[in-house]
Amino acid sequence: MPLVEIRNLTKQFSKGGETITPLNEVDLTIEPRDFLSLMGPSGSGKSTLLNLLTGIDRPTSGQILVHGTDITRLSRARLADWRAANIGYIFQTHNLIPVLTAYENIELPLLLLPMTAAERRKRIAIALEAVDLTDRADHYPRQLSGGQEQRVGIARAIVANPTIVVADEPTGDLDARTAGHILQLVERLNAELGMTLFVVTHDPQAASVAARRLQLDEGRLVESEAAAPVAALDAGRRRA
Amino acid sequence: MFRFTPYVVKSLWGHRARTALTVSGTAVALLVFCVVAAVQEGLDRLARPSEADRTLVVFQENQFCPTNSRLPEDYARLIAEVPGVRSVVPVQVFTNNCRASLDMVVFHGVPPGQLLAARNLELLSGSFSAFEDRTDAALVGQAVARRRGLEVGESFTVGEVTVSVAGVFASPVAAEENFIYTHLDFLQRAPGRNAVGTVTQLEVELAEHADPDATAAAIDARLRHGPVATATRTKGVFQREAIGDLAELIGFAQWLGYACLGLVFSLVATTTVMAVQDRIKEHAVLQTLGLRPMRVFRLVLAESLVQSMAAGLLGIGLGMLVLGWWGFSIGTEGVAIALEPSLRLAVLGAVVSAAVGLLAGLAPAYQAARTEIVAALRQA
Repeated sequence: MPLVEIRNLTKQFSKGGETITPLNEVDLTIEPRDFLSLMGPSGSGKSTLLNLLTGIDRPTSGQILVHGTDITRLSRARLADWRAANIGYIFQTHNLIPVLTAYENIELPLLLLPMTAAERRKRIAIALEAVDLTDRADHYPRQLSGGQEQRVGIARAIVANPTIVVADEPTGDLDARTAGHILQLVERLNAELGMTLFVVTHDPQAASVAARRLQLDEGRLVESEAAAPVAALDAGRRRA
Repeated sequence: MFRFTPYVVKSLWGHRARTALTVSGTAVALLVFCVVAAVQEGLDRLARPSEADRTLVVFQENQFCPTNSRLPEDYARLIAEVPGVRSVVPVQVFTNNCRASLDMVVFHGVPPGQLLAARNLELLSGSFSAFEDRTDAALVGQAVARRRGLEVGESFTVGEVTVSVAGVFASPVAAEENFIYTHLDFLQRAPGRNAVGTVTQLEVELAEHADPDATAAAIDARLRHGPVATATRTKGVFQREAIGDLAELIGFAQWLGYACLGLVFSLVATTTVMAVQDRIKEHAVLQTLGLRPMRVFRLVLAESLVQSMAAGLLGIGLGMLVLGWWGFSIGTEGVAIALEPSLRLAVLGAVVSAAVGLLAGLAPAYQAARTEIVAALRQA
């Protein structure tokens, strides 16, 4: 049974009297431990698909089945519960809570799950170790570099051991060197921890670390048949 | 349930200046509310049926200010013969101010031998024998002693009356602690008083089953043909009538209390709205992580409540300290309304703080809970 099944997913909205369809009858299947990247030009609907997959936005029509549950039918409150248990979200701009330390930011998703304080401490220690920030646990976001903030964001996304981890332009705000480190980390989440990853990016280098590469083209999803090198993707986009 | 308490506290602490300004402004408003409520409570205590309604006060007819009431001391003997009367205490009253005053000093001259029977006084310092032994001795209520910094052995003068402090007392009747007791004849002979043989009022203790109104009427009838006509009322009615004008002013001051609550609401609501508008994206992030909208609602409400309660703790606590330490009173016509701290006042303050805090947080909490996640996440 696939982890996620997206069927005939359409999203439309009005802008200035014009109807825009960023997603038009999109179908997608995600298996456990899959690592997908989704590319496309700005405004192509990448983030919209990610928002629908995480239940923070509603489709115009279609279904999103996760473990057989159609999340498009869940209420706002039930969706929140579902996200707490199933989704790890890595934001482009980190979006850490500024008044909380790295440790407390990572702890947030765990506060929503039935778990003892000891279990929380154990999980946070593992997550901090995974992103190599054990020595920065008591630091506030303002005391961290951009790369360190993003690593805290990744730790927060994985700490609850979610069904699927999504990342929206995870390297968009970082310099090339730091972005490289973050991509290595994301790759490890899939290769070593077996996490299912869905990364939205417009950066070919970021997309190239994924095993399955998707492209949004005029509201339609196109999947590359085989892993293509970054240069090929770049060339393909230049041709387009 | 309280897992997000650190988040709430740190959110407030993270904006210390804003929180401190709100809490301090709110605390001042609640302090004023507390004082206004204490005045009202003091007034209610005087108006409440109590032991005062088993004691009659015989006063000169159509007079309220102690300066103007002069009854023959001999009336005590005549009143004692009226059925239903257990005992009569002649009292000479001298006050520095018959009008409304925040520092009214009231001397009650009473025969020393009758004082302890007529009043339930607990000596905090000094001795009653020292009071009996010196004609110019005075027992001073602790509220006056605190206000004027009086201690046993000291002498002090009000108007032309100079007394020596023989003791400081506490009383279960808060208003009593604003009085000073002296020997009756001392006050009658005080310079400028020329009141030998006369008293300001006579206090009548009723027998167990005596009807207060009937006995009062009988006393006035008995004295109708005397040199001075009397008006006899229960002590409670007498006090209520004496402070009638002041009570109206206090009733008006209640509106000031309500205005303070409005100010508290406005301050806390403004701060909470600002906090929510500053953190629209943060609330969207929390919902993305899995917080239900209702939990976000509760978090914002908790922030509002914590601010309001902190201000309540500060303002009401300060109010209690001020009222307890300085022993304020408002008086008129020789009757004092004691402003004192009480558990009821503290509970009222806490309830009001909590209620206003919750009300002030409702609208911003609703706004935070209804945040459109996707739109909010797009904010820079």
